[in-house]
Amino acid sequence: MDEIDEIYEAVLDGDMRATPEYVQAALDAGVSASAILLEGMIAAMNEVGRLFEEDEYFVPEMLIAARAMKAGLSILRPFLVDAGIEPVGKVVLGTVQGDMHDIGKNLVGMMLEGAGFEIVDLGTDVAPAQFVEAVRNGVDILGLSALLTTTLSSMESTIKAIEEAGLRGAVKLMVGGAPVTDGYARKIGADGYAPDASQAATLAISLIA
Amino acid sequence: MEMTSKQRLLTALKGGVPDRLPVTTHHLQDYFRNTYMDGKTDIEVFDHLGMDAIHWTEPYRPDPSQGEYFDPLQEAPTNPSFSKRIVSDDWCITHEALPDSRYKTIRYTITTPKGNLTTVLQSNEYTTWVTEHLIKEKKDIDIVGEYVTAPKCNVEQVNQEAEAFGERGLVRGTICGFDISGQPGTWQDAAVLVGIEKLILATFDDPDWVHELLGILNGRKEVYIRSLKGAQYDVLELGGGDASTTVISPKLFRKFVAPYDARLIELVHEAGQRIAYHTCGGMMPILEDIAAMEPDAMETFTPPEMGGDARLAEAKQRIGDKVCMIGGFDQYHHFVNSSEEDTRAAVRRRFAEAGEGGGYILSPSDHFFDADANLLAAFADEARQCRYQ
Ligand code: B12
Repeated sequence: MDEIDEIYEAVLDGDMRATPEYVQAALDAGVSASAILLEGMIAAMNEVGRLFEEDEYFVPEMLIAARAMKAGLSILRPFLVDAGIEPVGKVVLGTVQGDMHDIGKNLVGMMLEGAGFEIVDLGTDVAPAQFVEAVRNGVDILGLSALLTTTLSSMESTIKAIEEAGLRGAVKLMVGGAPVTDGYARKIGADGYAPDASQAATLAISLIA
Repeated sequence: MEMTSKQRLLTALKGGVPDRLPVTTHHLQDYFRNTYMDGKTDIEVFDHLGMDAIHWTEPYRPDPSQGEYFDPLQEAPTNPSFSKRIVSDDWCITHEALPDSRYKTIRYTITTPKGNLTTVLQSNEYTTWVTEHLIKEKKDIDIVGEYVTAPKCNVEQVNQEAEAFGERGLVRGTICGFDISGQPGTWQDAAVLVGIEKLILATFDDPDWVHELLGILNGRKEVYIRSLKGAQYDVLELGGGDASTTVISPKLFRKFVAPYDARLIELVHEAGQRIAYHTCGGMMPILEDIAAMEPDAMETFTPPEMGGDARLAEAKQRIGDKVCMIGGFDQYHHFVNSSEEDTRAAVRRRFAEAGEGGGYILSPSDHFFDADANLLAAFADEARQCRYQ
């Protein structure tokens, strides 16, 4: 196995200890930071997403793969900066006001990070004003998550608040969470909806294309 | 012959064929009763809508010989189906309100001879949730293991309530959850105490610690279950959505959920009681695993439109001869923003998918907060017309 394959396998297996070691070994062997990122880690996270969609991977496997990727990125990041490799875009994520469910949102963040985005996670129970503030600070995509039927309305009021602040044109809005549907996303004026984390990554890429 | 609600629900629970499709719901939320039902009590709501009723009750009793007593500092639970907590001199629970501009926020402190444990709960008009988990460090479980009290069932009170409820429906209880904010299933209880993501990661990083925690929680539930002998419950709830495949894998279910909850189900049967195993979330990859624990019923069969994965007809075929099935109805799309015809048609579809041969109780797949009273009435009425004879 070459260095890239080792990184790919370690991320796929969620091996948080081996991944940074292999990243270091690859850098030492002169493999480029961009190849490590694209062919090793991002490729592995794509495969994780595919396995998740096929019901072969579940949330736990996804969580540990993302954790392994993060551990690898902590070694790789300075080299990416040196090589001038920029994130493909900046995404702000949050679970809307009144809602504490965050597993889905976290997975979306991990898969987007795995697809090369910079992620700012505002956490759970995020008020519309906090989202507005984040958009004001400059962001390509805002991702809203809701798991309760009672908090779907917070999703709508967040989008309204962004419109009222005159910022709607400045950001792409994507929404998700178990009770959210494509139809609902359109009704409240979002730019996109994805049913799971791996499709969220594909959606995000299409939104900034 | 027309069955009483109790006969009908019990017949289905035992896998038999009732006179018609039994129709009920899971816990009625206070928000729903107050907003849409003029504050009616549970039984008034069931009667008003023409559903087969459930009476939830979980009265505890302390064991004074072990130094236990009812928590003198706890305000009486607003919901009469919840008991007051059982504490001791070595397991004291105090609480204080924390300032918060948005939610009612309360910090609970459990004081023991070897240190304190704290947790913070918030609530709004809909519900209550945990914002600070009780178990923060690995060693916290040693304190729990040494000092936690285990409630016992107040059998006499259950039986009085069961007598009074009579033929109106089922008397339902819950396998005791942890103090302050617990849940019936062993894994589910642990998830509330530790936080689900942290707990999942711990299964990879320190599985022995997770097993130790599950063992402690299991032991507490065992004591409760042994005290259930003679209680005239019709069914008790175990399980929880954190053990669904929306959240964990079949592999984790087999290692960290099934061994513990299967043991409890065995004890429940020894105590002459029945279990409904609750999985609000994905179930299809673990249907047979759940059935293999031998619960009497399985719920909630949440459909994909509500974040679950249930395909009811397939589930019926795979496990319908082993357990009673409860749930499967999409309350999100058929209790609001639907027409009566659509809601009625959805009832018919569920009956066609899971009704054959009995052993099926129609119910929304778990909680709902907002519901149109006319749609609920149509839901119940259509079910009453789904007849077996
Ligand atoms: C785990 C869980 C909890 C945990 C949450 C732990 C945590 N840290 O998140 C706890 C125990 C805290 C909890 C609490 C409650 N819960 Co809950 N919970 C669940 C459960 C079982 C699984 C949710 C989950 O994590 N799924 C796994 C993730 C991976 O899936 P996901 O969130 O759908 O995310 C995926 C996609 O939707 C998408 N996605 C998600 N977000 C986004 C965002 C974007 C931008 C995009 C593109 C995509 C996307 O990608 C994700 C990954 O593939 C569901 C059951 C269900 N059927 O969904 C109930 C459920 C959501 N809960 C429910 C309820 C009622 C509650 C409580 C009110 C109960 C209570 N009183 O305690 C509280 C509410 C607290 C609050 N204020 O939020 C109900 C909601 C019913 C309703 N009518 O709204 C459900 C449906 C259960 C049920 N059948 O009744 N819950």
